[in-house]
Amino acid sequence: MKLNERSVAHYATCNSPPDKTGFLFKKGERNTAYHRRWFILKGNMLFYFEERESREPIGVIVLEGCTVELCESESEEFAFAVKFDCAKAKVYKMAAENQAAMESWVKALSRASFDYMRLVVKELERQLEEVQEEARSSQAKSKPKKHQLQPQGAASFQPATISLQNATITGPLQEGVSSRENGVSWSKPLSVPNGVSDTQEDCSERGDGVRPPPVPPRRKTNGGSLESPVSPGTGCFSKLHD
Amino acid sequence: MRFNEKELVFLSRQPPERAAELGMRGPKKGDVVKRRVVKLIVNFLFYFRTDEDEPIGALLLEQCRVEREDDQVFSIVFLDEAERKYLFECDSQEQCVEWIDAIVKASYEFMRKNLIYYRTEIHRLTGTDPLEQYGISDETRFQVFLVLQSASIHHCHLLCFL
Repeated sequence: MKLNERSVAHYATCNSPPDKTGFLFKKGERNTAYHRRWFILKGNMLFYFEERESREPIGVIVLEGCTVELCESESEEFAFAVKFDCAKAKVYKMAAENQAAMESWVKALSRASFDYMRLVVKELERQLEEVQEEARSSQAKSKPKKHQLQPQGAASFQPATISLQNATITGPLQEGVSSRENGVSWSKPLSVPNGVSDTQEDCSERGDGVRPPPVPPRRKTNGGSLESPVSPGTGCFSKLHD
Repeated sequence: MRFNEKELVFLSRQPPERAAELGMRGPKKGDVVKRRVVKLIVNFLFYFRTDEDEPIGALLLEQCRVEREDDQVFSIVFLDEAERKYLFECDSQEQCVEWIDAIVKASYEFMRKNLIYYRTEIHRLTGTDPLEQYGISDETRFQVFLVLQSASIHHCHLLCFL
């Protein structure tokens, strides 16, 4: 199967910051010894290079539908494996240089999938709507008290005064987001406090984060449940981080 | 460059975000338009011969630009080789617009920007970082500095998440 390899390799080394980098030992695919490689994790792609200075990756592992597990290895401590669910799938064995690095990589890799990112985005999108809805209704109820939920200091907040108190987002987390499978469309007007409109942007790369972004694409799953066929077990957001 | 082809083929069998038979033309001189079944799944665009189950190829949709070429035609161009265009011919203007929209939103980096936006807004409105309760607020992938190069929001306010 063809792949736009040159562009994929470019994604590895282009100026967008990677999610994680570091040396790992990787068990060879033909030669089964462990080789030290330089790894770059970006999005759902794990690239590996012969050396840190190498300009082109030796290879890439697409991290969609995989699980990451600790594993026993006779020769390596701090070993873990990236496994896929499909028939005759490869198992990618890697080893870190210490316990902390291993834990950090396992965590990063297990959250690297597009599906996971999509779940988090949907969850935050839902929360924001709730918050905005609350802001609207509390504004409607008590006219003289304006902008109850907005912090002091207009559109800016000073880092020093950020307090991470308990959320004012009330209500229990909904189980997954299945109730919104047919839900929100961004064509309904949202009164965003900073006065930004939610007109659809039409086409190409966008950098301005000022407008409320459109809903990311939803994968159609069987039975309308959130259980992704590719990454089992990621159905319910609130349980994802237990 | 090696890649986990079997796993990608397996991915191509998952329920797509969007799928259609389109006219597709490759980027090389001399490439002609061919009917292909095109499937959008996560940040990949797979393309198949109309009667085959295994994809001929896949395009990773990161670092690319999607443009309207004509009423019913859009193109995908990868930023590292902007002269090479993949062309897609749709059956209607509506289909063309929908595909462009879907592909733009299909990149991991696009989702990351959304997430930063939501996180920042929720924090601004409530004073709380919504990722705290899940213990993932320190994850690199959710950090604001990753989009400072492209965001036009006030940068200094976002640095508080670092």
